[in-house]
Amino acid sequence: MFQGIPVSPGIAVGRVLHYAPFVPQKWDKTVQDGSQAQELIQYEEGIQAAETELQSLCDRLEKSDPEKAKIFHAHQDILHDIVIDEEIRAAISDATSAQEAVYQVFGRYAAVIAQGADPVMRERSADLLDIRARLLRCMQGQPEQDLSSVHEPIVLLAHDLLPSDTAKLDPDKILAIITEVGGISSHSAIIARSYGIPAVLGVPNAVSEIRQDTVVIVDATKGEIYLNPEKPMQAAYLEKREVFQKQQEVTRKWLSAEPVMLDGERVEVELNIGLATKQELDASCHLDGVGLLRTEFLYMGRDTLPDEEEQVKAYTQVLRAFEGKPVIIRTLDVGGDKKLSYLNLPVEENPFLGNRALRLCFQHPEIFLTQLRACLRASVAGQLWIMFPMVGTVEDIRKAKQLLKQAQQELDQEQIPYADTIKIGIMVEIPSIALMADLAAKEVDFASIGTNDLTQYTMAADRMNPAVGHYCQMYNPAVFRLIGQVVSSFSAQGKPVGVCGEMGGDSLAAAVLIGLGVRRLSMGLSNVAQIKKSIGMLDARRTSEIARHVCGLSTADGVEQYLRQQLAEIL
Amino acid sequence: MCEKTTVIINPTGLHARPASDFVKAAAKFKSQIKIYNMDSGASCNAKSVIMILTLGLANGARVKIEATGEDEQEAVESLIALIDSGIGE
Repeated sequence: MFQGIPVSPGIAVGRVLHYAPFVPQKWDKTVQDGSQAQELIQYEEGIQAAETELQSLCDRLEKSDPEKAKIFHAHQDILHDIVIDEEIRAAISDATSAQEAVYQVFGRYAAVIAQGADPVMRERSADLLDIRARLLRCMQGQPEQDLSSVHEPIVLLAHDLLPSDTAKLDPDKILAIITEVGGISSHSAIIARSYGIPAVLGVPNAVSEIRQDTVVIVDATKGEIYLNPEKPMQAAYLEKREVFQKQQEVTRKWLSAEPVMLDGERVEVELNIGLATKQELDASCHLDGVGLLRTEFLYMGRDTLPDEEEQVKAYTQVLRAFEGKPVIIRTLDVGGDKKLSYLNLPVEENPFLGNRALRLCFQHPEIFLTQLRACLRASVAGQLWIMFPMVGTVEDIRKAKQLLKQAQQELDQEQIPYADTIKIGIMVEIPSIALMADLAAKEVDFASIGTNDLTQYTMAADRMNPAVGHYCQMYNPAVFRLIGQVVSSFSAQGKPVGVCGEMGGDSLAAAVLIGLGVRRLSMGLSNVAQIKKSIGMLDARRTSEIARHVCGLSTADGVEQYLRQQLAEIL
Repeated sequence: MCEKTTVIINPTGLHARPASDFVKAAAKFKSQIKIYNMDSGASCNAKSVIMILTLGLANGARVKIEATGEDEQEAVESLIALIDSGIGE
């Protein structure tokens, strides 16, 4: 048996097809004076062959998948780019070999584009490298190994897959994908999930050890691959595959269901998002809003701070997609495990207890004010709520509100409009503010409980440190007791309180949270269907009994055992 | 020589597809045409998709088109009009 990382769940039984992306033969870097004409011919013939390939690819895709065809039309334009062409010809006339010239010139521009500020444009760098590989292959007279010409369904095995490989995949012909490299967030994983193709990545030596045409079972629910299984085992897995697919269908139905409990009580289900993906924005109609918009992604992976305009644009996009449903923007939460290279923050002994999130924003009010102004300006596009992270004291709340007021006054002076319905809230993740929840609630309009940090601070166990991992217990009754106190304090004052940490998307924990009085759960898109399903199978009275019992237990293990037993049918 | 400035209004800037369309329009003219990113000062041949991508012209960027040749006037006018139209976005 081979073991890898399951990145796209599912089960498949089928024959292996080896897919080896083109690896160019070595070439001479320079040529003797006098052979330039010959090199030029090789280059021109290569261009022509690549153009023919791209054109036939476009013609075929035009009918089946016009969006993908656009990618290859763009490749055609780049292939004929006049500046690149001029530079390659100049290099060839300087006695550089044609292949070396192509390799260098495309590589140079790919590197320049990869450093651009705009993420959409940075992606074009991968296209340049793709075109270079095609052109070099054509210059070497090698045929294209074409995934779109696969006729019967197969299990695709490759070292790794490139964007242009996956763009040509016919999802009906690919039973499963196995690669040697990659993980949960690699390009191949994203493609596999979007097509619903089972995939196991990161299987070491798979290419050399699994031969072409071997019959394999791919269990991508566990990341397991079995070679040459006996007939009964094949049959057993085909049956498993059917059960799995039926389950998937049921789950998909739940995604669009209204989250109502058996007794008719409604629970709001909201989304946690970072850089909003198309999938997330498209799902907006099935959700009650955004419970957590993480803004730090706008600030990370770049060399400079995002300016006000860029932020306004990003927030507006989400507000528009959610058409008047609440969108909770959490102000910048960096420090701790998230660093920004351009801020030159000093290394701290205990970053999670250090200068992070709101604390850092108070030290850099210019950064904070820019973000607050952007939030205010975007607020006209929908229903925006602002939430401050890492609030430890009531003074923190007052200071943050003071800065928000300053941003409002600035906009008033500049006569820039903003909504007057903005709600102001706090993230409850530090035990000190959880214990002061009754007084904190008087200062704000709402709260959201960040259970990951609340757990690590309550348990005094750094969640990034594996040595104390077993102390970071999400199911510890202490955490549930604390949450119960926060929920009662806010609810007593009629102020909404939600949960946006990992607990919100965990079926077992969510049942307890509902029992403690939480009626707003926010989670990643992948958990929505399961949580809606759980909600539909619970009622308020039963959940309160469960919550009461859980708060009376003495250990996290005891809680988990009890919940698994009580809630077996909703999992 | 003829020149004129404007601002990029496409929501995602002058990225791949709009850049391709722009280059195709520029290629119809005989004049030498340059495009400037007025914010960074960088400039390039307006008939090259790749070079335009390297300019990183995002939404709101100020650009200048400069043409030299027999049809310079027409080139500048029509390319500025194309940018102002949002290049089909």
